[in-house]
Amino acid sequence: MRVTRRQFLRTSTAALGVGLLGGCAAAMQGDFMPKGGKRVVVVGGGWGGATAAKYLRLGDPSIEVVLLEPNKEFISCPFSNLVLSGVRTLPSLTISYDGLRAHGVKVLHAPAVAIEPEIQRVRVGEGFLQYDRLIVSPGVDFIFEQIDGAGQGERVVHAWKAGDQTVTLAHQLQSMPDGDVFVLTVPPVAFRCPPGPYERTSQIAWYLKTNKPKSKLIVLDANQNIVSKTGLFRAAWKAYPNIDYRASNKVTKVDFGERVVTTEFGDRVKFDVLNLIPPQRAGAIALRSGLGGDDQRWCPVDHVTYESTKARNIHVIGDATTGLPVPKSGNVANSMGKITAHAVTRLLAGKPPVPMPPGNTCYSWVSDREAIAVVNAYKIENNKVVQIEQKLTPAQSPQVAQNAVGWAQSIWHDMLG
Amino acid sequence: MTTNLTRLSMAVVALASVVLAAGVAVAGPLDHPGYVKSATCSACHGFAGASRSDTMPVLAGMDAAYIKKALQDYASGKRVSPEMEPFAKQALQLGVDDVAGYFASQKKAPTPVTADPAAVARGRTAAATCAGCHGADGKGDPSKQIPDLRGQPPGYLRNQMMLFKADRRSPGDANLKAIKTLMKTVPDQTFADLAAYYSSQR
Ligand SMILES: Cc1cc2nc3c(=O)[nH]c(=O)nc-3n(C[C@H](O)[C@H](O)[C@H](O)COP(=O)(O)OP(=O)(O)OC[C@H]3O[C@@H](n4cnc5c(N)ncnc54)[C@H](O)[C@@H]3O)c2cc1C
Ligand code: HEC
Ligand code: HEC
Repeated sequence: MRVTRRQFLRTSTAALGVGLLGGCAAAMQGDFMPKGGKRVVVVGGGWGGATAAKYLRLGDPSIEVVLLEPNKEFISCPFSNLVLSGVRTLPSLTISYDGLRAHGVKVLHAPAVAIEPEIQRVRVGEGFLQYDRLIVSPGVDFIFEQIDGAGQGERVVHAWKAGDQTVTLAHQLQSMPDGDVFVLTVPPVAFRCPPGPYERTSQIAWYLKTNKPKSKLIVLDANQNIVSKTGLFRAAWKAYPNIDYRASNKVTKVDFGERVVTTEFGDRVKFDVLNLIPPQRAGAIALRSGLGGDDQRWCPVDHVTYESTKARNIHVIGDATTGLPVPKSGNVANSMGKITAHAVTRLLAGKPPVPMPPGNTCYSWVSDREAIAVVNAYKIENNKVVQIEQKLTPAQSPQVAQNAVGWAQSIWHDMLG
Repeated sequence: MTTNLTRLSMAVVALASVVLAAGVAVAGPLDHPGYVKSATCSACHGFAGASRSDTMPVLAGMDAAYIKKALQDYASGKRVSPEMEPFAKQALQLGVDDVAGYFASQKKAPTPVTADPAAVARGRTAAATCAGCHGADGKGDPSKQIPDLRGQPPGYLRNQMMLFKADRRSPGDANLKAIKTLMKTVPDQTFADLAAYYSSQR
């Protein structure tokens, strides 16, 4: 069935307008915030979008910056695996958008419903916003269709977007009887945060070892091996004989009634608590606006400006992008936010963009007090992002964990402070 | 009163439009030529090097020659840091003088991490042996590439002292023999006091 664009706009506007916006929808009609001077609209106030919004204002305060973000507060995915093990609380990872407001960013708590590239408008509620440049940082959405029995994800606990789901999973883990089986499923690459599932494995295993010694953790990984920091995770897991790690075990079916997942080879695995991390693609708004590449999964971009190769004046950053030799990490999204803000500021002033390379550091906690890290630095060569070097910490240590805390404090402030 | 205010604000408006008309733009926080080469650093060191955490050193207002030396030492692997080695190489490729100049030109931003006053008092006494090189308050001496310790986060300072003591910062460097020999004589518990003292100095 092909849905025409107009039909789609009509139905999705109606659905989102009533469902998500509630009372606000009435106020957002027509050109509800007419554009004066130069305006950049940012879609998504996560790692990429919040950074871009702030740095646009730092770079050129004459630019009006409107940020669309349905969530009232920012909640960090980095460190959220520590909420599962009870080492951190969700409030300690929750940050207000007031810092962005203080920089003069106009924060609207509403989703972008559709993008109209030809006329440079974003649909919001019943109305629209005009832009000179648009920055899209919608993160990921889940491909529930690839898991038989997952429906639209109604009963899936993924905890792969920090928030209510994180609290639900923490509660399920912490209230499960000693001796019960926890099953964690890892999707095939590419997914948000390559080391994330293995950090989570470590946290759950640490928690079970400490609190429920008769329980075990079965990890069903669709990939052939641990995707990131393989040796360091393997070394850390020596302390956790309660982990049953099974590579090349792609889960294709779930039965919530029988409490069984099935792999592509037909193996059935029983669970008491299930953390199903589904396969992922770019946030829906990007794909439905025609920003997806040939795979219709991720969005190709220019490596210097992050302008979409599919639409002019629209830049895509963060997890939604593809084609760069970088992981889908918060640190990379933060880098892209700064680089794109700078490029957009220059382009709006009629100046050529300056090539700026991104950087990445991913810390992973392997117990309540020790962490490991992978560090990537990049350069720009012939207008492409090229890796200079990747470096791992030699071993897990409390010092690396302390550096992780320092990184989080700095980068959260860099985004939202 | 009202008239005065009105007159004042009119003057401000007039002044502003003169400035705008003349096209004079005040340099913004991202206009330093080193900014575009240093954008990845703020993820750990804070915006413009104003670190907010206990572990990441403040770079804002640091002596440019010392920053350059530190980056060269990290890049060559002489000063070992898995985090800094790739980023030091990035800075060297982009232009280390611009990067160092960017941070050196920032207003010094002392750490927001506060130190325990009792520890500061103990540290002040213990710091007598360090004053010969670092000065009484820890100001250092750029001409000898002795770093300014004032306002650095206490956790960072303490950690560096431990690394000197164990010969894990620039191992085997002949120039650092004196400081390392000295550190070996300092009991581990005193490092926190010394760190608190220097961190609290402005
Ligand atoms: C458990 C876990 C641990 C992680 N740990 C780390 C780590 O230690 N280090 C690290 O660097 N990275 C880590 N990550 C990865 C990191 O969270 C992501 O890479 C990062 O969030 C990507 O930023 P983004 O801006 O692309 O997306 P997000 O941060 O997800 O932001 C997207 C935002 O867009 C909003 N949005 C979506 N659609 C719309 C719409 N139509 N209109 C308006 N707004 C919309 C969403 O509400 C969301 O706020 C981790 C991830 C997970 C799940
Ligand atoms: C992933 C986090 C991270 C990033 C990103 C990072 N640094 Fe560092 N930096 C550190 C840590 C940790 C140390 C302390 C290392 C040690 O023990 O010597 C440090 C130390 C330094 C020092 C030495 C300070 C002193 O007092 O001796 C300098 C200079 C420095 N960094 C500059 C930079 C520059 C320039 C960049 C960007 C190109 C950068 N750093 C990016 C984490 C980081
Ligand atoms: C002989 C001279 C000398 C003495 C004495 C000395 N230092 Fe230093 N110190 C140095 C030099 C030189 C460096 C920079 C080393 C480098 O470039 O790697 C340094 C670096 C440091 C640093 C790291 C700062 C940073 O930003 O990374 C700390 C902390 C420090 N000294 C503390 C002390 C303390 C505490 C004492 C006294 C117990 C002391 N030093 C005594 C010369 C000295």
